Amino acid sequence: MAIPYRDAFQFLAAKRQEELVVTSAGNSSQMWWDVTKDADKTFYLDASMSMSTLFASGVAYGLPQAKVWAFMGDGAFVMNPAMLMVERDLNLPNFVHILVSNRVYGGTSDLDLPNKPVTDFVAMAKSMGLESCWNFDNMAALEDGFDAAFRGNEEGHRFVVLELDPMNAADHRIEEPPMDGPEIKFRFGRYIEATYGAKVFTHQF
Amino acid sequence: MNTRKEIAELVVEQAAACDISLVASLPDNWVADVIREFDHDDRFRHVPVNREESAVGLCSGAFFSGTGSMAVMGASGLMTLIYAITKINYTYEIPMMILATLRGAPGDKAKFHVSNGLYFLPSLDAINLTYEIIDSADKIPLIKRACDHSRTVSRPVVAIMTRDVLRGET
Repeated sequence: MAIPYRDAFQFLAAKRQEELVVTSAGNSSQMWWDVTKDADKTFYLDASMSMSTLFASGVAYGLPQAKVWAFMGDGAFVMNPAMLMVERDLNLPNFVHILVSNRVYGGTSDLDLPNKPVTDFVAMAKSMGLESCWNFDNMAALEDGFDAAFRGNEEGHRFVVLELDPMNAADHRIEEPPMDGPEIKFRFGRYIEATYGAKVFTHQF
Repeated sequence: MNTRKEIAELVVEQAAACDISLVASLPDNWVADVIREFDHDDRFRHVPVNREESAVGLCSGAFFSGTGSMAVMGASGLMTLIYAITKINYTYEIPMMILATLRGAPGDKAKFHVSNGLYFLPSLDAINLTYEIIDSADKIPLIKRACDHSRTVSRPVVAIMTRDVLRGET
């Protein structure tokens, strides 16, 4: 079983409150932009092959008053799964790692991941000591389990696997976020400065 | 002449002077004392990472929380970061301070670092990655200068330390 890609993202976008979001290599940037058109509270970290969740961890580490979600494509994840060791050490209570598992390299023509039918991402996470792990492979389960998985994680880091279908042909044609890197940087950083009072661009010296 | 610990203390003081409070590291023998010094100093949160790309992710994200950070690694580790630095730090213009070792230079007896002697600095030059070579203890203040420059140019800058200075032999 798997959840239609767009349905999962629409659901999460509707549930999102003040969370800062970091997207990943793969299709999450395209789809998150399509369903939110958010250019301030989201950092679109395209082509980031395996770095999105630690990037987001860096944001969450320095902003304990913020809540941070990070998407990670499974193609990116398998390039560096031991990132979870670092995330486990950090054990940030304001951070949710969302693994978008569609078993293909979604950003590069949906070619198959190695070991496609077998890999158990939650088991991998648990082997590294992560205890707060969820796996959702249908919408009803995601709806029922959302609060437990995404909210109230005062006890620490959360790892949520979404088993999704690959994006359909029509969705592969949706727009990429229409911003260059520096615009994404300044919009996201200015939002953080205004909302949380962090000195991102000012007082660096 | 300084002891290795004294050198490590000088490096750590430079980081503190740059308002760095988060240090991500993957060890090279030559910087092990520096990493231990960060680990034991309450002014810093030291995060051991599984690979150098993880340090790039963590430090680049920390920038957006206003947290000063540094990535500590060996030359070989930095050689693995061409993609990460160009795709993350160059694309989004995110500063990052990196401390690395000058492996493969004369004085390094490890044959497995011969390739670093040949290609390490040319690789940094190839991607226009700014660096300062610290080959004597009196150049350690260049670390703060490099860090300030990183913030000025919104790109990573590397402070590269030689074996002799890290071993307190200069």
